[in-house]
Amino acid sequence: MSTDAPSTPTEPDTPSSRVRERARRRGESLRSSDRRSVLRPGDGPMVILDGVSKEYTSDARGLDDVTLSIESGEFVFLVGPSGSGKSTFIRLLIKEFEPTAGSITVGGRNLQRLRRSKVPYLRRSIGCVFQDYKLLAGRTVYENVAYALQVIGENPRSTRRKVPEILALVGLSDKSDRYPNELSGGEQQRVSIARAFVNHPRLLIADEPTGNLDPETSIGIMQLLYRINRTGTTVIMATHDREMVDKMQMRVIALENGKVVRDQRQASYARADS
Amino acid sequence: MRVRFFFAEALRSIRANAAVSVAATVTVLIAVFILGAFIPSFLYVQSTVDSQKNRLDIRAYISDSATVSQVNGLKTQLDALQANGQVASYTYVSADEGLEELRGRLQDPSILDELPSNPLPAKFTVIPSDPEQSDQIVASLQDSPAIDEELGIDYGEETADKLLTVARFIQWAGLGLISILLVASILLIGNTIRLSIFARRREVEVMKLVGATNWFIRWPFVIEGIVCGLIGAALAVGLLWAVKITVVDTWIQGADSALTRDEATAIAFPLLGLMLIASGAIVGALGSGITLRRFLKV
Ligand SMILES: Nc1ncnc2c1ncn2[C@@H]1O[C@H](COP(=O)(O)OP(=O)(O)O)[C@@H](O)[C@H]1O
Ligand SMILES: [Mg+2]
Repeated sequence: MSTDAPSTPTEPDTPSSRVRERARRRGESLRSSDRRSVLRPGDGPMVILDGVSKEYTSDARGLDDVTLSIESGEFVFLVGPSGSGKSTFIRLLIKEFEPTAGSITVGGRNLQRLRRSKVPYLRRSIGCVFQDYKLLAGRTVYENVAYALQVIGENPRSTRRKVPEILALVGLSDKSDRYPNELSGGEQQRVSIARAFVNHPRLLIADEPTGNLDPETSIGIMQLLYRINRTGTTVIMATHDREMVDKMQMRVIALENGKVVRDQRQASYARADS
Repeated sequence: MRVRFFFAEALRSIRANAAVSVAATVTVLIAVFILGAFIPSFLYVQSTVDSQKNRLDIRAYISDSATVSQVNGLKTQLDALQANGQVASYTYVSADEGLEELRGRLQDPSILDELPSNPLPAKFTVIPSDPEQSDQIVASLQDSPAIDEELGIDYGEETADKLLTVARFIQWAGLGLISILLVASILLIGNTIRLSIFARRREVEVMKLVGATNWFIRWPFVIEGIVCGLIGAALAVGLLWAVKITVVDTWIQGADSALTRDEATAIAFPLLGLMLIASGAIVGALGSGITLRRFLKV
């Protein structure tokens, strides 16, 4: 796990390890309230892929024999050119479809053996930020975020408390009554992050959350994900934003044509020329 | 709390889908209105037939040439039948009394004045205890020498059969019409829900991706169907009530016999209204249920 605080972007004041520990514990207690989580508690690997391949059709291959493991609490960049299999990786983790070969374990759960009826519970325990945001068009920012809590049967009172909290965290307090089509791309992206994180999942995956955004907004979102990671949440972020990855110096998993071509800690986007 | 959330979701969907929802609601309104008009009408026809059947008396015509002892013999037979309970009552109607009776029933009795003589025979009018037993009573009286050979014994066999045929026709035609209308309502509600699902298919996709269970997604659609059914039925009941107090009640006021009044109110309106509203809800639930099975495979 990365221990060094990144050079930039960084939080305004670097939290001491005590503060970090407290935040981590708070995160844990929030999580335990979701009693129906299918993820097994514990500090083992959060994600294990073992020989995973995904063939959409005989000539369209999303992933090709990927084996890797991601520890709880890690921050991982999933990089690669467009079409390299980043989204396929992410969609496999929330069981949008099955791998053609291999096995996937999330939070100690083998996804192949997870019954269909349990899939919603898996998805609740994973926060997912989608490349195309996937916001509910007919609902306001507030309602979009609240929906994730309503889905897990959160009572209305704590929903009314938690939603403004998370909207403040992503800096959208003043936009809570807007509809998605009244927001900029960056703002929609932040709503998507707020929704993914509002019930404090142990695993947060983000599919190109800074794609198509201007550099400043990107940095804001990056900071947000970093802060979320500091609460103990495992974060997997797919991106092809070279600059961002280079600045953060986190673990980098590079994909090309569905294959892992590099898996390196505290790395840059491109292989460091030695 | 869940229930409130699901209702809010259903209302959101109805609003977003107003035109189709209104169409489905109107179909339910029409179907339930016709059902609601049919049930009391059918019960009215049914009870009219029943009371007609009960009023079906047996008329044994007495031959002009019958002797007094022959007539007394017939009378003895009738007394015996009355004693064993088959006959409720009987009366002797002389030729003159028969003519007066006829005069009373005719709209224009003056035509009777033109008759040269009384053409009517004397008769016994027999009221059976049970109209179903008319056949047996007739069979036991048939051989009496007092009975007129040509006129014989007349009883309501044919009249009853005709009434029953009409009643049965009305029953089947009505049931057919109502079935068609109810099926149409179910299909239209189903169609509303289908369009609603279609309009929100992207939303449904997103809901699934953020961990909504199947039923969490389904309930609002089911409620949407039930709400359309309930509103349609409630409007139909309101309309029926208006028709009842303006048309039917006036007609009952004008009706001369107490019997008609009883028959026309064979079913209490509140009970009818409840039944109709329940049927609206069932139609709505069926419509959305069927559609969800087909179009919301999750
Ligand atoms: N639904 C699909 N059907 C067929 N091929 C697909 C589908 N989704 C992705 N692919 C293919 O799989 C490969 C990996 O795609 P994807 O995982 O979306 O890459 P990335 O997110 O890195 O751009 C690409 O070649 C793409 O064309
Ligand atoms: Mg992608």
